Amino acid sequence: MLVLALAVFNVLANMEAAGVSPGFGFLVQEAGFDVSGSLIPYSPGDSYARVILVGLANTVFLAAVCLVLATVIGVVFGLVSVGPSPIGRALALAYVEVFRNLPKLLVLLILFVLAVNGLPHVREAISVGPFHLSNRSVNFPVVVSNQRMWFAVAAAVFGLGIGFLWRARQKLAGRRSGAAETVAINLLPIALPLLAILVFQVPVTVSVPELKGFDFQGGGRLSLQFVVIAATLGIYHGAQIAEVVRGGLLAIPKGQTEAAKALGLTPWQSIRLIVLPQVIRIVIPPMNNQYVNLVKNTSIAIAVGYSDLMSVSGTIINQSFKPLEMMLITMGLYLALCLGLTTTFNRYHRRLTRRETR
Amino acid sequence: MNFTFAAHLRTGLREGFSSPLAAALSLLTGGLIAAIAWVSIRWLLLEAVWPWQEADACRETAGLCWPFLTEKVRLILFGTYPYDLQARPAAVSVMLCLLAILTCRQMVGKPPRLNAGQLAAIWVLVIGLSFVLMGGGVFGLQAVDPVRWNGLPILLILSIVAVALAFPLGVLLTLARVQTSHPILALLASSYVEITRGVPMLTVLFVGIFVLPLTLPAGVSISPVMATLVALVFFHASYFAEDIRGGLLSLPAGQGEAANSLGMTYWQATRLVVLPQAIRRSLPSLVNSLIGAYKDTSLVVVVGIHDLTATARMSFGDPEWRDNALEAYVLVGLWFFLSCAYLSGIGRQLHRNSAS
Repeated sequence: MLVLALAVFNVLANMEAAGVSPGFGFLVQEAGFDVSGSLIPYSPGDSYARVILVGLANTVFLAAVCLVLATVIGVVFGLVSVGPSPIGRALALAYVEVFRNLPKLLVLLILFVLAVNGLPHVREAISVGPFHLSNRSVNFPVVVSNQRMWFAVAAAVFGLGIGFLWRARQKLAGRRSGAAETVAINLLPIALPLLAILVFQVPVTVSVPELKGFDFQGGGRLSLQFVVIAATLGIYHGAQIAEVVRGGLLAIPKGQTEAAKALGLTPWQSIRLIVLPQVIRIVIPPMNNQYVNLVKNTSIAIAVGYSDLMSVSGTIINQSFKPLEMMLITMGLYLALCLGLTTTFNRYHRRLTRRETR
Repeated sequence: MNFTFAAHLRTGLREGFSSPLAAALSLLTGGLIAAIAWVSIRWLLLEAVWPWQEADACRETAGLCWPFLTEKVRLILFGTYPYDLQARPAAVSVMLCLLAILTCRQMVGKPPRLNAGQLAAIWVLVIGLSFVLMGGGVFGLQAVDPVRWNGLPILLILSIVAVALAFPLGVLLTLARVQTSHPILALLASSYVEITRGVPMLTVLFVGIFVLPLTLPAGVSISPVMATLVALVFFHASYFAEDIRGGLLSLPAGQGEAANSLGMTYWQATRLVVLPQAIRRSLPSLVNSLIGAYKDTSLVVVVGIHDLTATARMSFGDPEWRDNALEAYVLVGLWFFLSCAYLSGIGRQLHRNSAS
């Protein structure tokens, strides 16, 4: 307690000596620096609070992309590592072993160097149709949003809602829908927006990236930094998730599938009804751990200059000399992200295990 | 020999092509392995420029450039440490590696067998000696500013010393968390552990670099290396605390109760009965955290400490060698791979020991 009080006293004294007053007032001041690749509208004239929000949005977006990527890679390699092919098993094993023994920062830097040196310049970008890959960015076409687009979105939501209500009614009545009904219900969320576009004459314009001067104009753009970090964390955590999936699959006793077979279940039924539900229950706690680690690890993006929460707060600290306040905000935001993720997972896990005990 | 190889090949083929799915998978993954192998062989051997060739030859091929490595290996290992004095960081690196190997061998019960006291004494001695050798300024050794402690020795110091100091702190945190007589202390310890585990290591390093100097009285300063070390200790401690708590919770309550009924005080029971068993039980997960801590030490490059990753970057910062980034990083990667693989091996052995 005494040490803590002394530390606080020293902080106040040091800040006074440096001519800065503690407090969060600086958040409304003008930031004055630009960030590369912002998801929400931002200009250097905006406030510090706005920059932090930009960083947070970038972190969340990066984490979401990495989460999906790592899960797909991990599940594929996890399945291959218990699959029928010995060559596949060897590959999966080597993959997990290599990336478990390398620091993620090194993987990031190696991939970054390979991407910058190995990919062609913007002018000679690798192009597949309207998609372009160069050593600066990935460019792709996007649909330009406009006011009337909301009609289509509303129609899609409406379609989904009808489907949901329909399924709930069927379940209550204990009926199984016929083939025609199923197709019709599930086509609604696709067909209704198309209809809305026709009826309300929603203009659908697609912005296609085009090479003008030294860079692409129009279309969507993901910076090379983003792509490299997403790939790094996808591969790095993919290896760990593969190990989790493998452990979950091996934990199911062989008797389970044999019993399912003896009961006359088809292989697909046995996977869907017997194996998968048990595996999911086993892997959720370690997966939760992985996902939280992944969210925390997005902070290494600072090493290649992607403007995530960490790098934005680093810049702000250097500019405004508010390390204490900035670190409180940054840590609080990361903590909130991780806790939110953990809570969601725990709730899901509880629901699954409750169903088991019933 | 030939016969068994053929037999292995036959069983392998029979298994790998036992169904259409297996065959497709085998072909796909086999193709991938062949592609990776081809690219690696081309880079490592076919297009490589060998150490006895001229460095200019590197510009013509895309392969591994040995002249770059032979010229820059000392820069990558020791960075900007004064060139003539580099025997000192070399000695520190060797010493710390030996210390780590010795400790690992103790954990899995291999010779030389030492008791805890001897081991602790060696640790204190080696760590003290490391700082003396790196910093100099005493016994007629030329003083070297911590800013120039680069490369491998700083990586080893930051990881090994941080782990050594974080471990006792983690034990204390665990004890504070599981005891019931001081609920406020328990609450503080558990919130500390949970908060530290919920934020990225980089934020803790930033706190160490930017906030820690503020908390010191005026006139007292702390070098970035020391600030980083303090941050790492406080960060790793909470991970170790969580591992040890796992071991502690898996211990039957009867152990502590039996010790109490024998008339032992709380500290006696903890020190002699509960902790040794709890730590032994948590060793496998402790080794996992240790590998993570060691790998994550490379992140200190972000706060301006020049560890192996940073010196690798220095080595190709020279415009003459700017195309040789991959060589430098592969060298660093090889070091990390080998050292982590050794630690993973120890972890697996501990796992087997605890299972049997």
